[in-house]
Amino acid sequence: MKARFLMVFVILALLMAGCGAGETPTGGGAAAPTNTTAAGGGAAEPTAQPGGSGLSGEISIGAVWSLSGAAAIYGPSQKNAAELAVEEINNSGMLGDAKIRLITEDDRSTKEGAIAAFEKLINQDQVVAILGPTLSNSAKAADPIAQEKGIVVLGVSNTASGITEIGNFIFRDSLPESDVIPNTIRVTKEALGYQKVAVMYGEDDAFTKSGYDVFKQALEDNGIEILTTETFAKGDVDFSAQLTKIKGLNPDAIVVSALAEEAANIMVQARQLGIPETVRFIGGNGFNSPKLAQIAGPAAEGAISGAAWFIGNDTPGNKAFVEAYRAKYGSDPDQFAAQAYAGVYILANAIKNAGSKDPQAIRDAMAQIKDLPTVLGTFSFNENRDPVHEPVVQVVRNGKFEVFTGNE
Amino acid sequence: MPDFISHNISTINFILINIALGLSIYLTLATGLLSLANAGFMAIGAYTAAIIATKTDLPLGIGLALAILLGTLVALPFGLVVLRLRDVYLAIATLGFGEIVRILALNGDKLVRGITGDEELVIFAGAEGITLPYTSPEMILGLPDTTWPILIYDLALVYILATLYRSRYGRIQAAIRLDESAAATLGIDVVRYKLLAFVLGAAIAAGAGALSTPIVRVIDPRNYVFSRAVDILAFAVLGGMTHWVGPIVGATMLTSLPEVLRFLQERRDVVNGLIIMLAIIYLPRGLVDPRFWGGWWRRRPRLRPQKVEGPAEVEARPKAYE
Repeated sequence: MKARFLMVFVILALLMAGCGAGETPTGGGAAAPTNTTAAGGGAAEPTAQPGGSGLSGEISIGAVWSLSGAAAIYGPSQKNAAELAVEEINNSGMLGDAKIRLITEDDRSTKEGAIAAFEKLINQDQVVAILGPTLSNSAKAADPIAQEKGIVVLGVSNTASGITEIGNFIFRDSLPESDVIPNTIRVTKEALGYQKVAVMYGEDDAFTKSGYDVFKQALEDNGIEILTTETFAKGDVDFSAQLTKIKGLNPDAIVVSALAEEAANIMVQARQLGIPETVRFIGGNGFNSPKLAQIAGPAAEGAISGAAWFIGNDTPGNKAFVEAYRAKYGSDPDQFAAQAYAGVYILANAIKNAGSKDPQAIRDAMAQIKDLPTVLGTFSFNENRDPVHEPVVQVVRNGKFEVFTGNE
Repeated sequence: MPDFISHNISTINFILINIALGLSIYLTLATGLLSLANAGFMAIGAYTAAIIATKTDLPLGIGLALAILLGTLVALPFGLVVLRLRDVYLAIATLGFGEIVRILALNGDKLVRGITGDEELVIFAGAEGITLPYTSPEMILGLPDTTWPILIYDLALVYILATLYRSRYGRIQAAIRLDESAAATLGIDVVRYKLLAFVLGAAIAAGAGALSTPIVRVIDPRNYVFSRAVDILAFAVLGGMTHWVGPIVGATMLTSLPEVLRFLQERRDVVNGLIIMLAIIYLPRGLVDPRFWGGWWRRRPRLRPQKVEGPAEVEARPKAYE
């Protein structure tokens, strides 16, 4: 009984310590100084420094990633890339005397977590802008809070529709599937000349489902016949029923809107069932993971996918980014990393152009961003605050993604 | 203080919703039923309220009433069938219920389109989910108008459950939990009381789901996956399932702890898990265990007056710990 008492006391003490420590850094360390510097900088700026950028001190930027929970496979590479970009910007003196302070929060892959993280970043840390959140539906739940408070949000992985429609403070640098997929279909149809396809998609995932909707539209627009549409669910491992049916219909190509694991299993089982290698797999963003080739092995050869970014891109700074990322984290960056990295630079450029820490000024400067060289390519925002840059079509060759040229 | 509330209002809202969910599973656990269906009933409530909110101009109150009604109507026949099972078997069957609800929400549009023949119909919106428009909350007496309904709901639940706890029903509940067969020999209609607890729990969870819609705003099937059912169970297990205060403490702690621990960054989950583990190891019957705290409470007054006298304290000690 005594020992139990003690443990209760320890737990309570831990809790108290947690509460106490939680308050000091946020209450004393961050909120008050940023408050005063923000106010002071804003007031002093027009009179004191007519020529200079007028930026000094720390600029707090929040980042909300899914570092735990269902989407934890995407969050960490976004976090790594964003931290890398902030480090580079602070070291290069791009913002003059000012430094970016990146405050990263985990949303546990839930809407509740994203809402709470936004609230914390806006109210306690007084950030001027927020990167993320990782998931589109979390963005739909959390972004209105920032919109209401007039804080800039830059989504770097939200591809669903209805994100930037939330309000004029909401931007994204992640090309929606509705831009990438039609490009993929147009380019590959020209090169390969397929006429009839079978379609498979994961119906219980917002991302693969909306990918399917765009594929369907793009296929219809290009006059391609859809022989059959087969569905599956996340976590399925046996696709033989769907693939047997598809095999019987003899399509020219198979369009798959799936995440990497299911897509890889589909490819393996299709080849095992004897669907010939001339029948190509065409997919969306879900294909764009090193996992695809790892799991599918030789079955992934020739698989085609559209993407917003490609590791071998010769876009400005891409090679340096890939090398710096490899050196720092010991692995290849993926598209999520590239978009997060580009996002930090886009935001930093907007802050530099605005010459102010005022979120309204940063918002206006963001909307003005045009033809900015980034690792994603020459980048602009359109009038809906959606990204404009050239998507790529890539193909798996010898277990690696290469640019699809069509002559193979 | 007002700043503290307005700065953390979402966390407070989520705590209040989770308290209602914790109370819903407490009812079944206190009757000795391990049911994981509450996430499913929450989904039923949330979808009902979200569809009412998007398709009609009716107020949230109507959505809440319909949600509770629908939750009850589904729980009655389902409970009749499934409550023949016990322990883990009941847990598995109720878990299946949660999955059925989730899959139905995911494919509900296909079903409705098949029946009506209207190919463009969108009600459940599949995996994308229903998004409610954002309206900036109006402050009423220092709290946003989105918080008041949940707060009132929670207070009403506490009143009802506290009354039940002290009533004949509360004793019957405990009797069934401690020994079902013995309870039956005492003339308690075990099946009836189990069903009552199950349906009440379902209705409370459906109501909580309905009230969560203005706060979460995006209602998609992913909100109601298996981990949600486990989260709800954890509120009651950590807090204690023998007294209605238990799930309130459990839900408050489990919801606020990750937010309080945000300053730990990457180590947050580790510390969070450690605290929960210690609590479970050293307080296996939950943080609120009347037997444990009751003994503690009763012991102190006996010690205190004797403490003043000095020498008597030594003599009193063995008595106090016997």
